[in-house]
Amino acid sequence: MIQALLYKEYIKTRAAYALLAALLWGICIYLSLNVHRIAGIKGAAHLWEVAISRDAIFVQWLKFVPLIAGILAGVAQFVPEMVQKRLKLTLHLPCSCTASAGTMLTYGAAALSAIYAVDFLILNIALGKVFAEEIVSRILMTALPWHLAGVTAYLLTAWVILEPAWKVRVFNMGISALLIRLFFLSDTPEAYNRFIPILAITAAVTASFPFISVDRFKAGRE
Amino acid sequence: MIECENLTHYYGKRLIYENLSFRVPEGRILGLLGKNGTGKTTTINILSGFLRPRSGVCRIFGQDITSMPPQLRRDIGLLIEGHVQYTFMNISQIEKFYSRFYPGWRRDVYYDLMSMLKVAPQQQISRMSCGQRSQVALGLLMAQNPSLLILDDFSLGLDPGYRRLFIDYLRDFVKTDGKTVFLTSHIIQDMERLIDDCIIMDYGRILIQNPVASLLREYYSYTFRMENPGPIGLPGLYHPTLRKDRMEVGALMPPQAMEALLRSNGIAYSDFSGSHVPLEDVFIGLTGKY
Repeated sequence: MIQALLYKEYIKTRAAYALLAALLWGICIYLSLNVHRIAGIKGAAHLWEVAISRDAIFVQWLKFVPLIAGILAGVAQFVPEMVQKRLKLTLHLPCSCTASAGTMLTYGAAALSAIYAVDFLILNIALGKVFAEEIVSRILMTALPWHLAGVTAYLLTAWVILEPAWKVRVFNMGISALLIRLFFLSDTPEAYNRFIPILAITAAVTASFPFISVDRFKAGRE
Repeated sequence: MIECENLTHYYGKRLIYENLSFRVPEGRILGLLGKNGTGKTTTINILSGFLRPRSGVCRIFGQDITSMPPQLRRDIGLLIEGHVQYTFMNISQIEKFYSRFYPGWRRDVYYDLMSMLKVAPQQQISRMSCGQRSQVALGLLMAQNPSLLILDDFSLGLDPGYRRLFIDYLRDFVKTDGKTVFLTSHIIQDMERLIDDCIIMDYGRILIQNPVASLLREYYSYTFRMENPGPIGLPGLYHPTLRKDRMEVGALMPPQAMEALLRSNGIAYSDFSGSHVPLEDVFIGLTGKY
């Protein structure tokens, strides 16, 4: 049954995830090529100097992209469930509602995390050819909260969309905006290094929120 | 098969109904009739577990719906208003998806019905007409082979041809295998072709619950000319309407009893006639036009 639910989610979201993957990986490749281009023109030493003395991370443009991707992934996966209250079909299946909703969320979070992981792989390989390991690590650690924000945004988007009552939906949006703000409090590279476990816990806690919406949907709240 | 006891529900402060009780015996097709806003969809939502009533209890297969084990849903087929299905799937994908959940899945039944539609297995459901989508939804229900079907406004959006097709297939399916069906529709002619029993709902209560055959047999639509035209409010008469001197009224009593009632209340009349009418007219007669 879990396999069947995963199959449904795959059919529904494959085009959206393919586009998101192309967008994110495309941006990562573009940013990496840009670094290589500058290294070619001005030399790697110049880039190292800029990275160390001016706190440049060269992937700043990526900052809100994982966040937007997380929101779009949530929209692509859960809006079709709420159109004509199609979620009723899923919740009427002969398996527990927690299992159904859990499978849907796990699928989305896993697919998004896989796309993000490839982001890191691209940046790690491409930047590793120009920079020392410490600088690459600095860039990736700076980008990590942005990607955690993406996963959190996906879960919060699910929470908002699955909520059946508009007033509560607006309230959920407000809470979501505040929670997402936590991931973007500082622009300083590696400012979040010590805070990353807290962000990861925040992301994990938000995974429980969509279940509240599903429960409210099941109870017929309006 | 279905037992609902003392259901009470409000939306906010608006009472939908109070202490509503009914039963659907095994092997019967029961239609829920009512004007807009009388609580038909509310009842379907409660029965399908998507609404917790303010009070009261609903049992299906003897199990309280609110604590029903998920496995029991295998035996309940649900048609959501508008024949809602996963439109992002195609005919073959949706069959593959649902078949995993139901051990008694009848693939051949689904594909037999799909072959009638003359659409390719790769046809996306979102690109099908409403009528074709209704057949997909019905095919999936039939393949699931549940012993209870709950159908919410199955005729919504269908043209007369598809409505007839849907009803004929559904009737054959439920009658052959002795299924129990609880359904609503806003087109009462469709119900008449299909249902054994009906519940007619009025605002906040059940007006009548009867086998359709006995309702059609017992209900008469009367017209007569009043010698002294005026409103009449006699017990047992439904929605008397006076047009000039001509009274139109419905009643669940034969002509002799009706005439006796008029005479015993001193109502002078002439040109009296009473006749049986189709279910739609019975419904309008019992609930009124407004």
